[in-house]
Amino acid sequence: MRKSIIRRADKKTDIPTASTADIAFLLILFFMVTTVFRATTLPIDYTLPKAESTERILMRRNVTYIFVDVNSKVYMDDNLIREDMVASRITPKVWENPDLITILNVDESVNYGTVDVILDQLKEAKAFRITFATERKT
Amino acid sequence: MLLREKKDQESEIPTASMGDVAFLILIFFLTTTVFTKDKGLKMLLPEKTSTEERVVVVKENIVTIAINPSGEANVKAVGYNEFLSRGEFSKITEIVEEKLLERDTLLVVSLRTSKEAPYSSMVEALDQIKLARVTSEDGRELRANKISLIPTSEE
Repeated sequence: MRKSIIRRADKKTDIPTASTADIAFLLILFFMVTTVFRATTLPIDYTLPKAESTERILMRRNVTYIFVDVNSKVYMDDNLIREDMVASRITPKVWENPDLITILNVDESVNYGTVDVILDQLKEAKAFRITFATERKT
Repeated sequence: MLLREKKDQESEIPTASMGDVAFLILIFFLTTTVFTKDKGLKMLLPEKTSTEERVVVVKENIVTIAINPSGEANVKAVGYNEFLSRGEFSKITEIVEEKLLERDTLLVVSLRTSKEAPYSSMVEALDQIKLARVTSEDGRELRANKISLIPTSEE
């Protein structure tokens, strides 16, 4: 009791800092939830074609990627693979998740023949849901 | 004297550094966050069919877009036979929209791309097909849902 009276006498102004931690934790939670860690970044050189009707893909958990670079080299799961190996790589993934969406990140200058080989194998592996990755045309 | 003082001493966990710790973690996640930017043109591939199985579609219901090795398109439909160079692909949307009004859901767009054609040309054509949207007389929104991707070779 006596203590508080003394305090009041030499009162100091303070900005309350008790809530800074709460605010910070809120931001942390936001970034924790939205963070996606990328295991490796492959040095794949590709430029996506541009399209006006580009849509966003929301089902992130169902997604797998195939990359085709400028030199028509095919990459999957952080590996360089032969283009006729796509089916054998995709099949187990489709078994695990029948709703799998395969995103084809193909360089714009690649011959359509290469893309066709991949599409054919996706059909074989029953990975019917695909997306041709594009940039939004501005 | 000393003993008594210790008795009514309040024990407290210092919380002053909480904010600092929190901000440290915050900065870590700020710098490591990669926002996903998955976007593209959605397609549903057909079931793989043997060569004997053929789907018969009446000529009137088909719009054929053939892309040659230099990436130019030739659009064929009943009443149309247009040659489009790479800058004129927006004409595809017009033709598809007109055919959609005429043929409704029966319309099939066949995109025949040469194996030597650049991928960008095929995507551009596909984009134009997907852009085609018309409202039918009874108020439904029509789109070209049946798109078949067919490879062609120059032999």
